[in-house]
Amino acid sequence: MIVLVLIIISLFFIINLYNKPFIDIKKSNPELEVTAQEILDDYLADEYSANEKYVDNLIQIKGEIAEISFDKGISIITLKDRSGFSSIICHMLPEANLNVLKLKKGSQITIKGVCTGYLFDIMMVRCILTNSNFNEK
Amino acid sequence: MKNRIIVILLLLMSSQLFSQERYLTKEGYISFFSHSLVEDIKADNYQVLSVIDKKTGEIAIQLLMKSFMFKKALMQEHFNQSYVESYKYPKATFKGYIQNLKELDVQNGTVEIKGILSLHGKEKEISTIANIQILKDQINLSGHFMVEVADFDIKIPIVVRNNIAKTIKITFDLQHKLYK
Repeated sequence: MIVLVLIIISLFFIINLYNKPFIDIKKSNPELEVTAQEILDDYLADEYSANEKYVDNLIQIKGEIAEISFDKGISIITLKDRSGFSSIICHMLPEANLNVLKLKKGSQITIKGVCTGYLFDIMMVRCILTNSNFNEK
Repeated sequence: MKNRIIVILLLLMSSQLFSQERYLTKEGYISFFSHSLVEDIKADNYQVLSVIDKKTGEIAIQLLMKSFMFKKALMQEHFNQSYVESYKYPKATFKGYIQNLKELDVQNGTVEIKGILSLHGKEKEISTIANIQILKDQINLSGHFMVEVADFDIKIPIVVRNNIAKTIKITFDLQHKLYK
């Protein structure tokens, strides 16, 4: 009997672990808050140490919209620095789509998401717009 | 930092001197699929960087392993930490040639792509047939090919050996635009 209970309990834990959800971007607090310029400077200075600092972390970036595009149902926001040489490419979660439609090129926004690394541009996935973008208006 | 910018600028400038026919995408799609009796595993990457030189047929593809999105968080964690060791090998690259691209005079056709795939610190020659679509200011490539997990020195623990296929199907869809 005890063995059976133990098996059921351990099965419960195994299934729970197997179905472990992704981090909830909306509810979680960012581990780092930076401006577009700061993170771009870090990557241009040293990609390796910037990866250690940013990759896999939930980060919040403040910057100017250089471009908004839609591809295969995903909205993509590109943030640029002053020189415009390198940029930050943010792939938004589907739930952000409606809010993305309200945005305009050139405005300042704050994006929260997960950094995956650098391919001549900084790549961000699972991004959302923070509430501050809409309260101020 | 300055040196690096100069190197990249020089690369861009030289490419403009020698060829005005570069096609680029930063939003290419590559996925992989593993089928086994226990489970099917699929991961999508929408952040693929790919450049084609139309004159020479040269193609260079780069992607970040961390940009592969899985259905389950645990799968993504295991993939990055244990299998492909993304912290050590963050990128996968492919460098090769689209055979006879210059002679191709149809809009839609098939081409052979040959080159070297580097992943997890290992290199392997790949040859595949792809669908090509050549439009004004645009080159689209799509298709799929198979790779052996063992070729890339990826170690799968015995416990989950039955969950992961020995041969993985890679699917690609790259829509390049003329780079000005």
